[in-house]
Amino acid sequence: MLDVAKEAVDAAAAAGADYADARAGRDDTETLTVRNQEMEGIDRSTSSGVGIRVLVNGRWGFAATARTDAAEIQRAAKLAIEQARAATVVPGDPVQLSDLEPVVDHWHGPCQEDPFEVPLEEKVALLTEASRRMQQVPGITFAIGSLDFYRRRTCFASSEGAAIDQTITHSGGGIEAVAVDDGEVQHRSYPNSFRGHLSGAGYEHIRSLGLLTEAERTSSQAVELTHAPECPTEITTLVLDSGQVELQVHESIGHAVELDRVLGMEAAYAGTSFVTPQDRGSLRYASPIVNITADATLRGGLGTFAYDDEGVRAQRTPIIVDGTFERFISSRETAPVIGDVSSGTMRADGWAHLPLIRMTNISLEPGEGSLADIIGDTDDGVYMATNRSWSIDDKRVNFQFGCEIAWRIRDGKLAEPLRNPTYAGITTGFWNSCDAIAGPEEWTVWGTPNCGKGQPGQVARVGHGTSPARFRNVQIGVR
Amino acid sequence: MPGLIGEEAFAAVAAAALELEGADGVEVLFMHEWAGNTRFASSQIHQSTAREDTSLRVRVIRDGRIGVASTNDFSSTGAGSAGRSALEMTGVVSPDPSFPGLAPPADIPAATGFDEATAATSPAQRAAAVAEVIASCGDRMHAAGAYETTAMELGIANTQGQRCWAPITQAQLNAVITGPDGGNGFAESITPRVEDVDPGALGAAAASKAVASTNPRPIEPGTYEVVLEPAASSTLLEFLAYLGLGGKGLLEGESCLAGRQGQRVADESITIFDDATDPHTVGPPFDFEGVPKRRVDLIRDGMFVDGVYDLRTAKQANTTSTGHGLPAPNPDGPFPLNLFLEPGTASVDEMIAATGRGLLVTRFHYTNVVHPIESTITGMTRDGTFLIEDGKIVGPVHNLRFTQSVLGALSDVSMVGRDTALASEFFFAASCVPALKIDRFTFSSTSDH
Repeated sequence: MLDVAKEAVDAAAAAGADYADARAGRDDTETLTVRNQEMEGIDRSTSSGVGIRVLVNGRWGFAATARTDAAEIQRAAKLAIEQARAATVVPGDPVQLSDLEPVVDHWHGPCQEDPFEVPLEEKVALLTEASRRMQQVPGITFAIGSLDFYRRRTCFASSEGAAIDQTITHSGGGIEAVAVDDGEVQHRSYPNSFRGHLSGAGYEHIRSLGLLTEAERTSSQAVELTHAPECPTEITTLVLDSGQVELQVHESIGHAVELDRVLGMEAAYAGTSFVTPQDRGSLRYASPIVNITADATLRGGLGTFAYDDEGVRAQRTPIIVDGTFERFISSRETAPVIGDVSSGTMRADGWAHLPLIRMTNISLEPGEGSLADIIGDTDDGVYMATNRSWSIDDKRVNFQFGCEIAWRIRDGKLAEPLRNPTYAGITTGFWNSCDAIAGPEEWTVWGTPNCGKGQPGQVARVGHGTSPARFRNVQIGVR
Repeated sequence: MPGLIGEEAFAAVAAAALELEGADGVEVLFMHEWAGNTRFASSQIHQSTAREDTSLRVRVIRDGRIGVASTNDFSSTGAGSAGRSALEMTGVVSPDPSFPGLAPPADIPAATGFDEATAATSPAQRAAAVAEVIASCGDRMHAAGAYETTAMELGIANTQGQRCWAPITQAQLNAVITGPDGGNGFAESITPRVEDVDPGALGAAAASKAVASTNPRPIEPGTYEVVLEPAASSTLLEFLAYLGLGGKGLLEGESCLAGRQGQRVADESITIFDDATDPHTVGPPFDFEGVPKRRVDLIRDGMFVDGVYDLRTAKQANTTSTGHGLPAPNPDGPFPLNLFLEPGTASVDEMIAATGRGLLVTRFHYTNVVHPIESTITGMTRDGTFLIEDGKIVGPVHNLRFTQSVLGALSDVSMVGRDTALASEFFFAASCVPALKIDRFTFSSTSDH
């Protein structure tokens, strides 16, 4: 495939590109869903092709095709040039790329046990048994288990001389119990909602999840929620589990520090950001105990790679240091606009799409102590777990999120469960109210498999390392 | 322009899967798409892209067991390989007792949604249209948006003898124009035919709204009368479909409309239907199982009729498929992709004039579900929100977060707009909707811009 990428770059250069890169890629996926011990869906897919990106007179052009014969590569390269030349009808500043030393390399992401080689029988048996165990709990209506496997091979070549062959494997699984009773529908998931816990790993990750051992507890909580009191409406102390902190980091920090959003490049669809380049080094984004890092080298992250889709080496970058905003995640095009160099975060949703700035692994660095310590140190409040819903405005300021379950905290102990919990806030006010973050023993590298961005829409799998955390004076129970 | 592969070429490739040895039944879903997209921001074209791809999705049934495999290798080799992979899956999965069988042969309505000029739109033509939008910007204003032209052909062939094929096109232009003092304006055009897109008028509409929304002022959250422009109405309609109109949710009790067939669920001015054969929408005349599409009434004069069904849920509900199946395997069930909210008689100006104290909303952003059974959703306003007092627009206000039951809102509709537009929604397909005046609509908080 690397030959295809090089051929595409040569074709683009011959057709007049000032700069060209190409990604010849192949994606393999396998998904399985079992519901109430019956197979609800089993699906394998493969997709391959090449995407060619060019700069002509300071304007980008891109063309992608599923066919990789010589004539088609020539056609696509010329179409990319035509795209770029058409863009010059509107005047503007030419694109300037930050400097990059071209790399020749190959890399395989971590994968001890190839998930595509594990027999289907074993996968089906795991999900069926998990479903059976969930169904043992009286009152459960649906017992669902799912597995998802992804492998992406990307061969990147550029007119600067880069030639990189990279393969990444992602594996994930989860269970979900649904209880329907008297007009109330409650979901409870493990280890996380939206098809579980996805990791940059092989099938060994699935074996570590404990889907069978957690089945009964997951089901019992779903049933219990159907008769639990509603989350009250009040301003109180809020403790979030690490899975919900993941969502909080994703929506109210990760997207807000994408430099393309900050520069207005996503204004019409996903939106912009309240953060500006002038905020670097001065914006008190969060309380002093909050440290946020973008780390594409983090083992097990969905945003882990050796090189991004511009050929920039993976990096670990401080984003928020002791509560102060320091740096954006960026690309070769956007970083020079603010006098920076690329932080290596350009990724595309496969060969058919143009790379965009995407979160790598945007993590809340661990604090100290345990979740039990935090709850024990809370006189009155609410503990919420497992994301159910999310909404945030077009500048990432006003948010409202929902969780699957909550418990009242009374005198340092978890009390009764509460259903339909929600909370809302303003990004910087909320993060500045953070006064406790649990330590490394509670820190989990979660995966967000469904991060949407761009026109046409692209989906990225990104990672977040998070621990449980506590926030003061939060509005909960939004009606 | 890559051009159509065509029905005959699809049939020839599909045969490699349909003739698979050892299978009791086979279905091949074919999709071929080519598209160009000219994206702009800060009044410059910053992304100009083109893509072409095919896909073959093969569903195989053996002994009541089902496997699905897909490939973008559009060849007999690719179809055969996907078929064998799906056949292998049938050897390890349990039987599917509720499998309804593949779609039987049936006549398909004539496809009318393909426009050669749209399919052949060049990068230069898209760029010229974008330049027109940008030219609409006044002093210190700038434009962002995207202009995408798409051509697609879809085909279905199965071993029951059903054969479907149709080409469709779509041109979609949207723009957000931003002024220097917090003013934003949005406009969009979605149509099967590129000739129906008027970039100059679209840009002027967005620019006008950006001027009008300059220097928005803070406002208190609370319950207001609202006038929702079509782009905002579409959010209510699409979330109602997501939370209530799918046959699976209706059967399993997870729908906000479960068990409410024949009951009043909205104001009597509300009639909602789905119709892929209407020329004002974009879509093939058959679903992803090969069942013909037709108009399906969902809410008539405020009364809930019924939802949409695919073959599986229709069998479970002892009814017939309404032609709303999605590609297999489909754990989420059927979904209406071509929704219409029937227009009324009021203009937006008349709605504003009838408002005591309320808000005019251009569109919503990033809406999501709060309580599915209560049809409660939350989202933000954006790109032009205005306070109305005593029948007149007073001025622009900061964006607000709404937390509101969709069915509650539709029950409080007092005026329905006379003009409709095909309007997009952040997470869903576009629907053809009018503006709505709703007498009570709850905003739970505000933002700072």
